[in-house]
Amino acid sequence: MSDTGTTSVNRLAGPMLELADATPVFDESGMPPTPLTLRLMPGECVIVETRDMTRATVFADLCSGMIHLLKGNVRFMGLDWTELNDRRRNALRGRIGRITRRAIWSNLFGTHVAMMLKQLHHTTIPLETVTTDTEHLCERFGLPGIPTDVPGRLSEADIVRAACVRAFLGKPQLLLLEDPLETSPVDLSQPFLESLTEARDRGASAIWFVRDPTVWQRYRQAINGQWRLADDGLMTIRMR
Amino acid sequence: MTQDPENPKGPEGASSQQDNPPPAGAVLPDNQEDISFGLGAPPATFHQDDDDHSRKATLSERFVHFLGWLGALVRRQVWFLLIMLGTLWGVIRESCRPNSWRRTVRYEFQMTLGDVAGGGLLSTAVTGALTGVGVVSQAIYWLGFAGMAKMTGSVLVTVIVRELAPILVGVLMLGRSGMLSLAEIGMLTTGGQVRSMQAEGLDPFLLLVLPRTLAFMVSGFTLGIIFSLASLTTGYIISRASGALSNSLLSFYYDVVIAMTPLDYLLIPLKFVVVGFLVGLGCCVSGLTASKEDSMRTMLPRGFSRGMLIVMTVSVLFSLKL
Repeated sequence: MSDTGTTSVNRLAGPMLELADATPVFDESGMPPTPLTLRLMPGECVIVETRDMTRATVFADLCSGMIHLLKGNVRFMGLDWTELNDRRRNALRGRIGRITRRAIWSNLFGTHVAMMLKQLHHTTIPLETVTTDTEHLCERFGLPGIPTDVPGRLSEADIVRAACVRAFLGKPQLLLLEDPLETSPVDLSQPFLESLTEARDRGASAIWFVRDPTVWQRYRQAINGQWRLADDGLMTIRMR
Repeated sequence: MTQDPENPKGPEGASSQQDNPPPAGAVLPDNQEDISFGLGAPPATFHQDDDDHSRKATLSERFVHFLGWLGALVRRQVWFLLIMLGTLWGVIRESCRPNSWRRTVRYEFQMTLGDVAGGGLLSTAVTGALTGVGVVSQAIYWLGFAGMAKMTGSVLVTVIVRELAPILVGVLMLGRSGMLSLAEIGMLTTGGQVRSMQAEGLDPFLLLVLPRTLAFMVSGFTLGIIFSLASLTTGYIISRASGALSNSLLSFYYDVVIAMTPLDYLLIPLKFVVVGFLVGLGCCVSGLTASKEDSMRTMLPRGFSRGMLIVMTVSVLFSLKL
């Protein structure tokens, strides 16, 4: 990851994320062992519809190289997850921004530390720069500043805002976004779409998992593809 | 109409089986009232050959099977020990790599050190003082009474500093900070936050286990020395007040110091360090290996008994050497 934080991300020549007949192990993932194929170029954003957000979380894990495969492979930035050692795998995961329905907050750290943890761990960007970036994103998502309380003391709306900040912080190159808009008690569509567009302009790719198809209609002109994640795998949907 | 024993379903059943023959070896329920009708083979029939196979197994196959069973049993029994050995090596190895000491790891180390050493300072000093009142003063009194006052230093070094202090400090660290670490990490594991950390490339071993274990190690040494000083000083004060001792504090400490052998200067700090290290490691590993079925109710007693076992084992192993 860039040490300065301001260096523009070099665009990849190949796909940012590529699933080639990736067949997850059922026992580990709970996903049916059907081959999944997906190709996501830099700057692209696809919608993945799913009725079950738990399945979306597992699929995002699969994209992050956290699920073992029966066959096929998953490549991120041209690198096959299975060919990397632990350190390189972790470093690569540091380039992925995720909004997930899985529990991510703990009262072990203040919210400010939890939000910046990935940046602080994977980079040597000065703390002041990370703080400034975090502050900027916090303001964009409607937080009055960087929350320093433990996450348990934040309101539900602020937790969703903080989760968005956490995902977009550090200029990630892949965004795996389990729709935060549907469950959000406040309307975050404007800052969310702004941040998403900004990331894509920078060369980042995004997978936006949704359950409710109306959520992304405002953004449909900018969507590159629509898929459905079901028992029988990943199916493309003709966009109307 | 009598049914053909080979074909109980009659001619219709036979013709349908011919149209769509079942896969070889499959046992699909034909009875429509069967709960598994239409769901494929029930799980019990998946390994129907297993029993036959075990009956037909040769002697060498049975021996291999027995070895496998024995290995599985041993691994299950020594599972935690193996994990401890692996993570022990991992912590030592990773702590020597400068790249491991990222700012998040340093932050966690500082926080844990503050909690364990800073937070446990008072309780250790008080426990040390109480030990001084109860044990040191009694030892001084009875040694004087038996005319063995010259042995006071060596007895105190052996009993208090070398044997009692590491055990009590280990128990204090385990109860005060180790259980807290276990609960925190265990909750993160069972709550799914550890998985979320891994998804962000944050290795829980590097971020939690390594700094906490090393902070416990440093704290073990610090608290051990404080405990020893507090117990010896309080013991001296009580003995002086009761008239059992008449020499000065410095003279008393001089007796203690000259009673120590050169090996004591190495082994006593080493014992404090090892107890702290293993208590921290044991608690972190117990938390990190918690399963989804675990709760505080199961994690804490298990962690405490493991911690006690670690403290006592270290103490006994070091005593055997001496």
